[in-house]
Amino acid sequence: MSRVNPEFATELKKYGANDFSACFNCGNCTATCSLSTSDSSFPRELIRYSTLGLEDEIKASLKPWECYYCGECSTQCPRQAEPGELMMSLRRWLTAKYDWTSLSGLMYKSLPASITAFVLTFIGVLVFAFNADFDLEHMMHVGHLFEAIAIASIMTVIFVPNIIRMWYFTILKPKTKVPFKRYVSSIGEFFVTMFVQKRALDCDDNRFRWFEHFILVIGYLSLLFTTVFMDWFSSQYMFVIVFGYVVSAIVFVVTIDFVNSRMKKKKAMNQQSQPSDWFFVIWLFMMGLTAFMTRLFIDLNILEMNKWLYILHFTILVQWALIIVPFGKWTHFLYRSFAMYFAKLKEN
Amino acid sequence: MKERIGVYICHCGGNISDYVDVEELGKMFHQEDNVVISKDVMFACADSNQKDMVKDIQENNLDAIVVCSCSPKLHLHTFKNVAARAGLNPSNYVQVNIREQCSWPHSDRPREATVKAAGLIRAGINRVSFSESLENIELTVKKSVLVLGAGVAGMKAAIDLAKSGNEVFLIEKDFFVGGRIAQKDGLFMSGQKGKEIVASLYEDIKKQTNITVFTGTTVEKVSGSLGNFHVDIKVKPRFINGKADKQAVKRAMDECPVSVDDAFNLGLTKRKAIYKNYPEALPDVPVVEAELLKNETDFVAKFASTLNLNEQEETLSLIVGSVLVTTGYDHYQPKEGEYGYKTIDNVVTLPELNRLMELNPEKLVYNGKQIKSVAFIYCVGSRQTKGENKYCSRQCCTSTIHTSLQLKEKYENIQTYHVYRDIRTYGKQEILYDKSSKQGDIYFKYEEKEMPVVEKEGKSTIVKVKDYLTAKKQMEIEADLVVLVTGMVAREDSTHISEMFKIPIGRDKFFNEIHPKLKPVETVIKGVYIGGTCQGPKNVSESVQSSLAGASKITALLKSGTVSVDPIIARVNADACTWCGKCSDVCDYTAIKEVEADGKHIAAVNKAVCTGCGICAPVCPANAIDIAQYTDQGIESMIDGFMHEVEIREKEVNPEEVQEEGKVGMKEYPQIWKNILETMDEKTTIPQVVEKLKVSGELVTYHMMTMNRYGVVVPAGMDAKEEYFYYKKK
Repeated sequence: MSRVNPEFATELKKYGANDFSACFNCGNCTATCSLSTSDSSFPRELIRYSTLGLEDEIKASLKPWECYYCGECSTQCPRQAEPGELMMSLRRWLTAKYDWTSLSGLMYKSLPASITAFVLTFIGVLVFAFNADFDLEHMMHVGHLFEAIAIASIMTVIFVPNIIRMWYFTILKPKTKVPFKRYVSSIGEFFVTMFVQKRALDCDDNRFRWFEHFILVIGYLSLLFTTVFMDWFSSQYMFVIVFGYVVSAIVFVVTIDFVNSRMKKKKAMNQQSQPSDWFFVIWLFMMGLTAFMTRLFIDLNILEMNKWLYILHFTILVQWALIIVPFGKWTHFLYRSFAMYFAKLKEN
Repeated sequence: MKERIGVYICHCGGNISDYVDVEELGKMFHQEDNVVISKDVMFACADSNQKDMVKDIQENNLDAIVVCSCSPKLHLHTFKNVAARAGLNPSNYVQVNIREQCSWPHSDRPREATVKAAGLIRAGINRVSFSESLENIELTVKKSVLVLGAGVAGMKAAIDLAKSGNEVFLIEKDFFVGGRIAQKDGLFMSGQKGKEIVASLYEDIKKQTNITVFTGTTVEKVSGSLGNFHVDIKVKPRFINGKADKQAVKRAMDECPVSVDDAFNLGLTKRKAIYKNYPEALPDVPVVEAELLKNETDFVAKFASTLNLNEQEETLSLIVGSVLVTTGYDHYQPKEGEYGYKTIDNVVTLPELNRLMELNPEKLVYNGKQIKSVAFIYCVGSRQTKGENKYCSRQCCTSTIHTSLQLKEKYENIQTYHVYRDIRTYGKQEILYDKSSKQGDIYFKYEEKEMPVVEKEGKSTIVKVKDYLTAKKQMEIEADLVVLVTGMVAREDSTHISEMFKIPIGRDKFFNEIHPKLKPVETVIKGVYIGGTCQGPKNVSESVQSSLAGASKITALLKSGTVSVDPIIARVNADACTWCGKCSDVCDYTAIKEVEADGKHIAAVNKAVCTGCGICAPVCPANAIDIAQYTDQGIESMIDGFMHEVEIREKEVNPEEVQEEGKVGMKEYPQIWKNILETMDEKTTIPQVVEKLKVSGELVTYHMMTMNRYGVVVPAGMDAKEEYFYYKKK
């Protein structure tokens, strides 16, 4: 017995889903979806749940994460109900629900809040730069330290509790019995999803996008590794230096295409960009570019005269690490990997 | 007895002659008594043959003809017209169906088909020899029409009838015109208010000098028939002094001490005992419920000059040529407890909600509570596969969705839920569904076997529904107001009206037309037509369409002042009849009455009413009734004719003409076949022929296949590449 809650639709609209009430339940979206199976069928079911406002059912569902938004459902929808966009919005909504701080929800729903956060972090960096008397070496040292500390603390303070909450909503609360052994045997699914996203390959006509995405993930993770653990900006090893150039270039070159397709809006999945989508791609692009430029300026020995470049890079880095990674679209990368893992647990 | 009969036996191309030995039959009836001409013809219906027949009839002075061909449904009138053109009374024509009844069904047994045809033809000849020359019955009709019911359908039809030159009596049972549409505020698609439509129609009616409107009037008695219906009507008094000052009448209304439930607002409000349905209601004279003022002597005394409580009801007799029944429908009234109706305080019907909306211009309030959410339950009292009302009420889906849109337009923040079985917003009405679903109305689908339940939980009302759109999940909807979407049912008095006018009613109590497609507004009673929702559920447009169709039929019928009726009716032999009344008892049309003639009581048939159905003839113990063209003598002679022995020989077949399966007797091949055959060597493929003849591949393929079918060529293996078949001459 479930109580209908029409307010949910109003709430979900704040996360970007606008048109799904036009749905007349024909099921063309589910039929056309190349990822939907008879055991796990979507998007129609989730559109229905969203219309009726069945929050518990949605929270317990991993299906939003099973969708890779090829956009075929939205193209085929006879009512222009944009099922693909609904699935995307549900992912945003779920992210907000998993997040114990509720900041994710605030970021998604309120553009002013997001902008304020970006401005505040920028001011913070400026204050820090003044305090450090614009001493480049000191700033770069702190910057490097910041990265490692930010990763460690966000992981423990934000992500671990959030993943546990996600596990609670999707496995424990629906009373799915999973023997411990299966947690171990299914862990492969988690890594495969995180690094390869192989499910996305099943989306129709999606090879190139998958490949771009794959390269970007590898590039991004490598850049993270190079800067944090190999200390790229201070490294003297030729291999590390060149590798850093390559991976940072990969990050900003690939994101150019992502920004470009969001601007051109040719495909269904690019037609309805939310601020969170823009922040994600633009900041990723900026991060790759500023990192590349910083190292280039170091190698050309002109960074001392262009301290503002590093301050810009540091600002981007702080905003990325404190806003976009914990409360923005970055989390999709994490939750999706866990969702596939949990789905595997449920499936057995 | 006819003595000069012409018989024409049709080949119908080969449709008949392929199986029935038409030539033999043609010869057989040459010897028949009284048959002057007997011919077999290729196509009897062909123009040339029709001309020949006319010539035959005139030259040989034929007095009857028989055509043995196809079904009379196809060509009865063709040949009746031939007879008429030749100066022969069309009643002296009989058609015998030897195609549908002989050659087609018995194609496997040609001899028997021929024997059967011979029997039928002989029966036809015998029948035609007893035929009489009959003339259509001409009736004088009065160019006046009774329109029963002044709803939108009746009012519009009355105006059209009057404009076409008929005198119209428009009768309304209520004291005010307009019917149901006056109760609806804003109609799809024009957006006009029902009351505005009523006012403009009434204005048009007033402009027509030949419409008389009677309100508060019922039909008491109907007699007579097409052209001259005698209708007695009873006009109830309004108890208002006709000369009274308008202001005084208004004061009386305001000061009236007695209040009762307002039926126009479906009991949602109270009204005075002196009332109008609504302030602009027409005619613009209030009505006094005299019964209720019995004890209010002071009030009555005060307004003695305004009220006229002694006014008596009047009975009037009208004579009309035709009747248009537009009595409309009743809303289905849910039983107590049906979805909590009357047992749960916030359950109402759709018509009640519509009144409620009109009465609440600012905020929607019911039982003192502001309504924020409304749940509609569809198909209440309609589409009951096991209940009384099996039909779909057709207009309620649209009406509900339209109401839902109006709710959101009129009041802020109202959430609506639609618990439906199937949404049937056909045609342009689909626009409404589109709008409703896009604005966020939530739809739930239920099935009849799992009906929704309305329950009270604490202070809130819950609709529980097994939702077929959510994998049959049990859903709970909390709603401030539950609205039962009730359909249309036949009016309570439909049986009474049906008995008075003899209009047949269906199991659903709605009036029945003769044929839903071909005679959609005609009833089996000549001169009585139906329009609007008294016939079945319809929306406003469809109601008006059907009543106007009725109006047009009536105008055409009465136009010339006379009506020509088929002469095939019952006839009473006055000498044999002793008036036992049995014929009158069985007559569905009350066409038979007892009359006194030459000091004797006998039955008399009303020519205008009788349909010639024939039911009276067999019940007559004195055998005093027969039906024109279907006399006992004629029918007995047909039986004799059919039983007459026939000698038909098995058709002798020339062994040389026996052909193999699939072969046809072809005297000469078509030119293209010859051309193709000329090009063919020992073995030839289709592309080779195409190459040589320089014609299109499709053409060659078609003819090669056809030649193969008829055994002119045969396949001879495939070519080396296994692409094409070789063909060779057989």
